[in-house]
Amino acid sequence: MLEKTGVATEQDLKNSIPSKERLAKGPVAVIECFQRIPCNPCHTSCKRGAIQPFADINDVPVINVEMCNGCGVCVSNCPGLSIVIIDETYSEQEALVKIPYEFLPLPEEGSFVTGLDREGKPVCRAKVVKVLNTKAMDRTPLVSLAVPKDLSMTVRFMKLNDIYSDNTFVCRCEELTMGELRELIRKGYNTVDEIKRISRAGMGPCQGRTCRQLIMQELAASTGSKMADMPMTTFRPPVKPIKLGTIAGGADHE
Amino acid sequence: MRIEEHPILSFDKGRKVNFIFDGKAYEGYEGEPIAAALHAAGILVLGHSHNKQRPRGFYCAIGNCSSCLMVVNGQPNVRVCTEKLQEGMVVETQVGKGDLR
Amino acid sequence: MRTTELAIIGGGPAGLSAAISAASLGTKVTLINRDDDLGGQLIKQTHMFFGSQKQYASIRGIDIAGILIKELEKYQDNIEIMNDATVISMYEDGVFSVVQNEKYIKIKPQSTIIATGASEKFLTFPNNDLPGIYGAGAVQTLMNVHGVAPGKSVVMIGAGNIGLIVSYQLMQAGIQVKAIVDASPKIGGYLVHASKIRRMGIPIYTSHSIKYAHGTDHLEKVTLSRLDEKWQQIPGSEFDIETDVLCISVGLSPLTELLWQQGCEMRFVPELGGHVPVRNENLETSIKGVYVAGDVAGVEEASSAMVEGRLAGLNAAEALGHTSRDLEDKRKDCVEQLNSLRSGHVGEKILSGLSKVTV
Repeated sequence: MLEKTGVATEQDLKNSIPSKERLAKGPVAVIECFQRIPCNPCHTSCKRGAIQPFADINDVPVINVEMCNGCGVCVSNCPGLSIVIIDETYSEQEALVKIPYEFLPLPEEGSFVTGLDREGKPVCRAKVVKVLNTKAMDRTPLVSLAVPKDLSMTVRFMKLNDIYSDNTFVCRCEELTMGELRELIRKGYNTVDEIKRISRAGMGPCQGRTCRQLIMQELAASTGSKMADMPMTTFRPPVKPIKLGTIAGGADHE
Repeated sequence: MRIEEHPILSFDKGRKVNFIFDGKAYEGYEGEPIAAALHAAGILVLGHSHNKQRPRGFYCAIGNCSSCLMVVNGQPNVRVCTEKLQEGMVVETQVGKGDLR
Repeated sequence: MRTTELAIIGGGPAGLSAAISAASLGTKVTLINRDDDLGGQLIKQTHMFFGSQKQYASIRGIDIAGILIKELEKYQDNIEIMNDATVISMYEDGVFSVVQNEKYIKIKPQSTIIATGASEKFLTFPNNDLPGIYGAGAVQTLMNVHGVAPGKSVVMIGAGNIGLIVSYQLMQAGIQVKAIVDASPKIGGYLVHASKIRRMGIPIYTSHSIKYAHGTDHLEKVTLSRLDEKWQQIPGSEFDIETDVLCISVGLSPLTELLWQQGCEMRFVPELGGHVPVRNENLETSIKGVYVAGDVAGVEEASSAMVEGRLAGLNAAEALGHTSRDLEDKRKDCVEQLNSLRSGHVGEKILSGLSKVTV
């Protein structure tokens, strides 16, 4: 399939993904180079000897993950840009995926971008943790993306604009955009309830059915808190809009 | 359309010069091929084939093909993909095979 | 008429490398180069090269040109460079003529290395002559040498290495690549190149071809069609993509006019891109003292072209009576490098082709 689509399959990737135990120890190079071609700079650039010597220059690279410390030198030396560094020890929920990125403008550290999979499909929002662009890297900078841990073997590229972008709507009733929500979170409104009170999101005709989940996701992404631990809003009656007249009463109320 | 920034390359352009294409004034960079200056100005049709009158644009960019023959400073059949732009050049669309002068 | 010991025709990776190795042995070399600058197609290659350190792996093509030129300068006493000079004819007595600045110059060398490279193949489909339909090399020249965008969006025909690399370069220059199309059911280029294109979200349509180009004055739209197992278009499978540029990258053919003029024995070998000269293991053609190196001898990667250039330079120099203590080691090294570059999956085709023309 790879040779028809250009996208590595699970079968291709099977041997290139390090063990859970190794991933738990810290950063490591993941080489996605599956075709015999005459090329060996990954081996010659590896200062720790982790990428094994090639008997034949066409050999597919073999890495001893125990010797690799995830320094990233091979990443910017690979002419096929087929190596990434994965660090699953970055935080409890997130892993770092360090990718070669030869495009302008470079993303800004601290900004959010969209993480793309091997087919270029958006899969998550990713935070740009570091952009390394030294002379030795010779115009192949290394961008470190923080992504949800379960996507560490999925995210392989990025696009600059955050598709979960500031112009999208979070709350349709009260017209709260993602940008406005993020601004509120930055100002310190860090619970769903606080956001509801300051922005009215959740107080419209749908009573939060559309926006509550999205607000929680964004709070989790921006503050690192877990959705399971978030204090909920107070649910007050009525759960759907009714006519004032209905409350005001009539002869046939029971 | 000029490429303003590039992650790998930096373009050393010559000085800005003026030239005339079919009676209108244009700007380009000295020493670049005439075709590059025309392309940057959005001019894609450089002439028409002499038999079937098909529109002709730039094709090979290295002086191999016959797609970009134009009249430059009165001289016909100039391959503008390799001919260097100079201040004050007069570039014209060529009609037919060009005349001997 | 001028004379020289060794004339090298072509200032690309093969010609430059040949000039370096011949001049390093003390041969007086005249290097004739069509362009203003040396380096041939290297000057457009912004990507890192494959291969090993000996073939400058991991260095960008544009920078390799600079490295070779610098190496050449070490032997400048032995080398005369003629830039902006095109060889327009070659005769059976070994005399050839060059046009430089409207001047016609005849040169009689004792030996010649022909390293003229290759030219791009064209493709037939209705309206294939519309402005906006360019060769991949032209697109590279326009954007990487002159800094001009070929258009707003591009459909690339050909998923070989050139098609994949130029697509990536287009994206780097800020131009949208809408699709890569290839008639073959498999991607021909290196899969790592394909993967890096795919993760930018660009589709690669294998088993597809172009059916029609639309536009009046210039290209506006292309119609693509899916192909069956016999590479025939499947009726009803057509779909359109709006684009102002179509880039054709369907392979190269050796630029052999001068070899034909000299009367070299030629054979048609599809694996090597078309008609190529019969040669011996010294890269000498059927005509004594006429050598070949690089794409003109069979289309391959630039890495092999550089090694072939070195080898042809050594052999031509030796035949002219120049030598050095390490000549045999150098030659052996070149042969080993070529063998290893050609030993992979991609090299199989090349080796099969070479076996048909090496005597």
